[in-house]
Amino acid sequence: MKRIAILSALALLAGCDNDPAVVFEDAGIILPDDPIDLPEGPGRDAVIENCTACHSPSTMLQQPKVSREKWESIVGKMKTLYKAPVDDAAVPAIVDYMVHVQSQPEPGV
Amino acid sequence: MNDGRLTRRALIAGAGTAALAAPAVAKLAAMDVIDLGLPGGPSLRHVNPPFPGKGAMIVQRIRPPLLEAPIEAFRKGIITHNGWMFVRWNWPFPTEIKAADHRVAVGGAVKKAVSLTLDDVASAGETVSVVAVNQCAGNGRGLSQPRVTGTQWGNGAMGCAKWTGVRLKDVLAKAGVAEGATRVRFAGLDVPLTDGAPQFIKSIPLDIAMRDDVLVAWGMNDEPLPILHGFPLRIVVPGWFSTYWVKMLATIEVLTGEDDSYYVADSYRMPAQPITPDSKGFPTVPITTMPPRAFITSHADGDTVALGRPLVLEGIAMGGDAALERVDLVGKGWEIPCELGPDEGGPYAFRRWTVKLPQVAGDFEEVGVRAKNVNGAVQPAEFVWNPSGYARNVIERITLRAE
Repeated sequence: MKRIAILSALALLAGCDNDPAVVFEDAGIILPDDPIDLPEGPGRDAVIENCTACHSPSTMLQQPKVSREKWESIVGKMKTLYKAPVDDAAVPAIVDYMVHVQSQPEPGV
Repeated sequence: MNDGRLTRRALIAGAGTAALAAPAVAKLAAMDVIDLGLPGGPSLRHVNPPFPGKGAMIVQRIRPPLLEAPIEAFRKGIITHNGWMFVRWNWPFPTEIKAADHRVAVGGAVKKAVSLTLDDVASAGETVSVVAVNQCAGNGRGLSQPRVTGTQWGNGAMGCAKWTGVRLKDVLAKAGVAEGATRVRFAGLDVPLTDGAPQFIKSIPLDIAMRDDVLVAWGMNDEPLPILHGFPLRIVVPGWFSTYWVKMLATIEVLTGEDDSYYVADSYRMPAQPITPDSKGFPTVPITTMPPRAFITSHADGDTVALGRPLVLEGIAMGGDAALERVDLVGKGWEIPCELGPDEGGPYAFRRWTVKLPQVAGDFEEVGVRAKNVNGAVQPAEFVWNPSGYARNVIERITLRAE
């Protein structure tokens, strides 16, 4: 493996003032697709319509098992703090879905 | 982009180290799923899809990306390869950046607000490098018991790199800090998708901002900062959690009072005193500096070791906001000092440790390593719970079976 020059003692290295410090070039990245991969369950459509525009489903699916009240408070935080455009009428279905998914055995990802 | 190169490097790294590491790397490449061992689950994570420039990372979330390093990233040396540095974004970020168009606005309580090009920033002062651990405040959150919600990291939301840039204080001098300045706040190009949501902006006290080793960095391990790590510039605050290491730096704002913005005043905070999970209405303080931590990297929980034979354990440790002083191997009712590797990166870097046990006499139940720094901070034997799972530094323990 390439040995990277590591600094000793002071951990600070003075560069040479006369050298151009750095040449900046344009940068870009192509991020991978994000398949909306949600297990079947009651309220799945409400989750797809209200949650996954902002983030991958994994954010929800990887959470430890918590109460219905906790899921209600998490959805509330998405609405009031993060201004997520969640339809009020859809909140019970979103919460139902999360409680259902968390009652199932871990699906092997 | 350079996935092939990264994979090959990873395999070469594995082949060059102890025999233990090589099969582990091969196994990882062949597998699609990693079990993080999170108590009560869900614990399984994909290592795909691949992200450009990254190795086989544990994909906690695709969008916005949350990528965790597997333990293989820490098996050799003190520097974490760029392909294995963890990735964490709160909000979406641009995927194309034109270097000539990028500006860093320096304003607020300054003598003269300025808008700097990248070349202006790079020539603001002497070019300096610092080797420092970059660690998410929530690293290890998924191991909390009782469990807490949030990104369910194992212990791979950390890495150690050589960061190169100019001192923040030299960039601030381009505008001139005005009388009464108290804090310096940073904003990047990552912004919320929704109107009215809080932008991810963070501030540090002025005395920290003026430290000689606090940088506006463009280099990561002698390569340009990858976009996933904050191209073209990010803040580096050695010894502090990476929540302050704002990426894609676009604004530097000098404040004259407290910072009442959401991610400082309301989030990324810890109880001021230890609490229980039932506590309510307790005072909180911002998370700031890192405590010491140590990890066994040569063996995993449940590994078997040869009965009657000598055993060498190896790993990494960090002092946090001060240099590492010592590492001890601790079991139930016994402890053995470990030998520290050379101080290659200075006080804020990882440092390797090793310990040789002359003969394995039986199973090692719940054995761990305990780091202590020169300020006397030492890892606790008992987990100190907090509701957001921040700043975990309990001694991490594994069990080894003798056969």
